[in-house]
Amino acid sequence: MKALQWQGVNKLAVGEVPDPELRNPGDMIVKVGKTVTCGSDLHLLGGYIPFMEKGDVLGHEFLGEVVEVGPDVHKHRVGDRVVVSSFIACGSCWYCDQKLFSLCDNGNTNPAITETLWGHAPGGCFGYSHAMGGNAGSHAEYVRVPFADVGAFAVPDEVSDERALFASDSASTGWMGADLGGVKPGDVVAVWGAGAVGQMAARAAVLLGADRVIVIDRLDNRLQQVEKFIGAETLNYERTDVSGELRERSGGRGPDVCIEAVGMEAHSPGPQFAFDQLKQQLRLQTDRPTAVRDAIHACRKGGSVFVLGVYAGFVDKFPLGALMNKGLTVRGAQMHGQRYIPMLLERMAAGELTTEHLATHVMPLDQAPEGYRIFKEKEDGCVRAVFTP
Amino acid sequence: MSRTGKLLLIAVPVVAGAAVAARRRRVPGAGEQRRRHVVTVFRPLAELQAEPLPGSLKEIADDVEITLSAAPGGRGTEIAVRIPEGSSVSSGDVRRALRETRSLIEVGDVLLPYGPPTTVPTLLNRPLQTATRHGREGGLL
Ligand SMILES: NC(=O)c1ccc[n+]([C@@H]2O[C@H](COP(=O)([O-])OP(=O)(O)OC[C@H]3O[C@@H](n4cnc5c(N)ncnc54)[C@H](O)[C@@H]3O)[C@@H](O)[C@H]2O)c1
Ligand SMILES: [Zn+2]
Ligand SMILES: [Zn+2]
Repeated sequence: MKALQWQGVNKLAVGEVPDPELRNPGDMIVKVGKTVTCGSDLHLLGGYIPFMEKGDVLGHEFLGEVVEVGPDVHKHRVGDRVVVSSFIACGSCWYCDQKLFSLCDNGNTNPAITETLWGHAPGGCFGYSHAMGGNAGSHAEYVRVPFADVGAFAVPDEVSDERALFASDSASTGWMGADLGGVKPGDVVAVWGAGAVGQMAARAAVLLGADRVIVIDRLDNRLQQVEKFIGAETLNYERTDVSGELRERSGGRGPDVCIEAVGMEAHSPGPQFAFDQLKQQLRLQTDRPTAVRDAIHACRKGGSVFVLGVYAGFVDKFPLGALMNKGLTVRGAQMHGQRYIPMLLERMAAGELTTEHLATHVMPLDQAPEGYRIFKEKEDGCVRAVFTP
Repeated sequence: MSRTGKLLLIAVPVVAGAAVAARRRRVPGAGEQRRRHVVTVFRPLAELQAEPLPGSLKEIADDVEITLSAAPGGRGTEIAVRIPEGSSVSSGDVRRALRETRSLIEVGDVLLPYGPPTTVPTLLNRPLQTATRHGREGGLL
């Protein structure tokens, strides 16, 4: 079959790979209908997560049709239209029982790597390096879905492919940031990053009853989407003093919940950016934490900061003093898709959550390397490139 | 700089940083094989005591000491393994056995890696391929 493969740092190509096989009785094979770029892939592409092998298939946000099921799959049948959580979880361990699915004890076949790196191993993910299990991703004609009864969800007829697709990763991630960040009615919520993840976090905050939701980015086309489709306010950090504006828009208190949806390749307008970039290039820090720093600084006393952006290693100039003295709660997580996807599909069916506008570029899988180039450069207003294998 | 050089430069600090962090925690006598390994399985103690432990833990059971105890707060059962002096069993064998057994008890199955592989071996990814061939044996468990 055809698949988009990582061939080296910043090198992608569409190649021929063997079709996936059922390996465990709970597996199924999905014929990929739509599969989409994610900001997380950029960290792999640029070599910031150094556990890729030449030939690895990328992609973890997808939807498709069931074509083969293992004997232990009971929820799905051949022909079903399903959306699949990007993180792979067993559904039976203590973490899954706590609905912390991305922390599953049994979903990663290579726990040694992340256990050594971070002390404990999270679960597995599609197309996200050998540290996350080395599972071939969804930018292919077919994909193996382990623990299919746990991670795959039938899409209701009234929800289009274009909408349901994003329940797979960006919408569940965004929802998690607002939910576990503790957004309540009456809150002021600030979101850093107006990519698909930040937009979905902002929409979740709106739906959870926040009083004001403010999204921060520098790309005008994305901020316009936020105003038009998400129903939130915006700030362009290249043109405004974000910290002053946030203070003013929250009556001097600072936002109650700050959600960071930028990640380790953050950009910043000041001289600090050159410093962070240099340190990252010299590998004195592995990640650039600009947006996390800003979120901690802006957050109200006793407020909460949720880190959705992906980080791999160590950061410099982490504002521990502000965190401690302001009594903040800082949390982060990879997405617990299995916890949110059924609810998100219901909200999508009810028209509360729309995502079609995120798919700014739709193209055949053959053009995926070009799709990633446009997505990475944020060219031509690209928010997400969707591939149709 | 070549792309290869760049990737190595990235991989080294991430892994080295973790190694430094791990080393700091170690007590004198570091470098010796650890003799005690524990895992918590999300099933009640009575259930685990009712039948012999499944999987690869059963295979090494004669060469190690296994203790079961209830984990606090409804977290299930702690399975502790001690490797006696002179045993031929390695820490890697025990880690793999504990992980596989936990999965067998909780899920009834042990997840196999994706296949057939889509990757090709290169000079650069040889260490990673070696590590993932023994993915359940390493780590800190
Ligand atoms: N936690 C999870 O499970 C999970 C899931 C999906 C994605 N992610 C991560 O979330 C992050 C965002 O993903 P995405 O797909 O929306 O990415 P994206 O690249 O499309 O969007 C990131 C946005 O952040 C903006 N940005 C950069 N620096 C900024 C700064 N200092 N302040 C404010 N905005 C800034 C960029 O202009 C861009 O619009 C990534 O790090 C990704 O890896 C995490
Ligand atoms: Zn993602
Ligand atoms: Zn689990």
